Amino acid sequence: MFFTLVRLQFLKSLRSTSFAKSVMTNIFLGFLILLLLSYVLGAGLMLRKIVEIVAEGQDPLAVVNSYLIFFFLFEFMYRYFIQSLPVIELESLLHLPIGKAKIIHILLIRSFFSPISIIALLLFLPFSLDVVRTQAGLAGAGFWMGSILFISWSIHWFMLWFKQRFEDGIIGLIVVFAVMTLGAGSSYMGWFNLGEIMKPVFDYAIASPLPFAVLFLIMLGSYYLCFGFHVNNAYLEDLTEEENVRFVNQSFGFLSRFGLAGEMANLEWKLIIRHKKSRTYLMLSAFFLLYGLIFYTNPAYQSEDGGISAIFIFVGVFITGIFMIQYGQQFLSWNSGNFDFFLSQDQGVTALVKGKYLLFIGISIVCFLASIPYVYFGVEIFFIHLATFLFNIGILIHVIIYFALWKPKPMDLNKGAMFNYEGIGAAQFLIIIPMMAGPYLIYLPFSLLISDYAGLVALGVSGIIGLIAFKPLSQIIITKIQSNKYEISSSFRQEL
Amino acid sequence: MIQISQLKKQYKEAVVLNVESLEIPGGECFGLVGNNGAGKTTLFRIILDLVRASSGDVKINGEDVSKTETWKAKTGAYLDEHMLLVYLTPDEYFQTLSKIYGLSDADLQLHLSKFTELFNDEILGKKKYIRDLSKGNLKKVGIAAALMGNPEVVLLDEPFENLDPSSQIRLKKLILRETESTKVTFLISSHDLNHVTEICERIVLLEKGKVIRDLRDKSEMMNELEAYFTG
Repeated sequence: MFFTLVRLQFLKSLRSTSFAKSVMTNIFLGFLILLLLSYVLGAGLMLRKIVEIVAEGQDPLAVVNSYLIFFFLFEFMYRYFIQSLPVIELESLLHLPIGKAKIIHILLIRSFFSPISIIALLLFLPFSLDVVRTQAGLAGAGFWMGSILFISWSIHWFMLWFKQRFEDGIIGLIVVFAVMTLGAGSSYMGWFNLGEIMKPVFDYAIASPLPFAVLFLIMLGSYYLCFGFHVNNAYLEDLTEEENVRFVNQSFGFLSRFGLAGEMANLEWKLIIRHKKSRTYLMLSAFFLLYGLIFYTNPAYQSEDGGISAIFIFVGVFITGIFMIQYGQQFLSWNSGNFDFFLSQDQGVTALVKGKYLLFIGISIVCFLASIPYVYFGVEIFFIHLATFLFNIGILIHVIIYFALWKPKPMDLNKGAMFNYEGIGAAQFLIIIPMMAGPYLIYLPFSLLISDYAGLVALGVSGIIGLIAFKPLSQIIITKIQSNKYEISSSFRQEL
Repeated sequence: MIQISQLKKQYKEAVVLNVESLEIPGGECFGLVGNNGAGKTTLFRIILDLVRASSGDVKINGEDVSKTETWKAKTGAYLDEHMLLVYLTPDEYFQTLSKIYGLSDADLQLHLSKFTELFNDEILGKKKYIRDLSKGNLKKVGIAAALMGNPEVVLLDEPFENLDPSSQIRLKKLILRETESTKVTFLISSHDLNHVTEICERIVLLEKGKVIRDLRDKSEMMNELEAYFTG
């Protein structure tokens, strides 16, 4: 029975349309995961050296123990965003004569076999063998390592319960936000030192098997919390619940001034806020507004002659254009479920494209306006944002959309956005090249030959030229869609 | 109204549709029957220019559908849920359409009032996205949408499928009323021989992409079709 289910799972992933169509994407993803894991292992091997450099003259083990809690807070965060729920497959299994408990056990255990589960091991095993063993012997190292793994795995089960229970709800966001504040608050603001508070626990884990045993029980407990919740809610209506209608009849009145295109922009806006995947992108653009804080405050990027660090151009492009960069990459894939609707309307495709343009530009304007407070870090930041904003809406928008139209792929909008590569093909990876190089192609010659501000002016002017040429440029996009409409429509119907 | 000539669709070697000539005059209720894989949906998709014909052409009011777009304003269709915006509520969807077709609120209300019986209080005014509706209700929304904007041609693929018996009868009445009062040309594909013979003046039978019967005599239709499908 168990093996039949495992085999079914295997076949499912092998035969899913997205796999068959994007073997390359999967290979790429596999490499990416291996690469990331090898970085983690590398960091693990270097951990002792790193700690010795960062905290000179202190006992590395004591330092690691006092920072471990932050690792787990961080783990909590990335698990919240990355970890996917195993219940999606429930629907096809529930009606079979297999006990619910058994199905849930299998789904939960399968979810455990994931690269995320071994991150803690890769990161701390070398350190435990090297440092902890010499200080406390093999048993101490084992207990220490085991305690860390059990915490990490407890978070795994806890997260499965937590996400299923609260996902997309206000409570979930509040808890995640609280964890963030707890982590940041304790260290940056100096309210209290969470690391020092939790340090004795890990110190004790070396000296005694008690924490090891207790944490093991906690892990079992969190597994059964998760298991119990899933078994009790193993009904379709509970786990794959239909979304509440929260946003009825909300639209932007001012958009209707733009006629049919405005109406389409309104539709697109509804599409965005009513699907999980696109909502995540929207949230990310809000997060990216803070992206500048990392760069503009970092002394490493302050050039000594008072000029503009070239990296800031890139930051500006991202801050004012992150939404069109992310959302625009899958330009038509967002409409893969209803492309035929637009095809069957008079001028439907034209209206759809114009509506999307309108929305992208609108959101860019909002991002630009929201980024004005960065003026605090210097007036030049404002000019950078203005120049990159103009460049984004004048030039980059067309480039991204043009690339995105290369064999658009269908995708399911109701899945999460993190590590979800549906709708992504080679084109979406290639877009990165013009996106990174484009602004510099225009900026650098002027910046090097004349001055940094000349570079900014060049960026801004190129954007304005792009805006003036909006009609012919957008017509290229529309013509491209029109000439490929049969292929696009049939691939969206998944007939190929 | 619709002229089809030398129309052929083939995927590599397999010919899925091969219609030499078919003319559908205005105001006719035209039925399309045939077993699975006969090419009914493909024919509809080609008429709507969703699928490219391998050769031949389809003309609506003299316009080649693959060359112009103006015919779309006078053509309504519901083939499958790809033609709906499933993330809207039915009310929002109809409002969106009324803006696209340039209808006033009063026009929209008038249009929707025709469907009161068919909707059976399950569609309008509900806080539910279209994607969460049952298959039958999804179909009702699609049919009401296809009839919006005073179309001259309406294409419906399996309109009776998934509808409960009362809704089937109501839909039948609705189609009959529309053909009488507005002279809409209906193209309807269906597996339900009783319904389709009742509402259509003409029925074309497709087999493996070819037109093998073109029945116009209402009294003989049922017998001929039954003979074909049982044989």
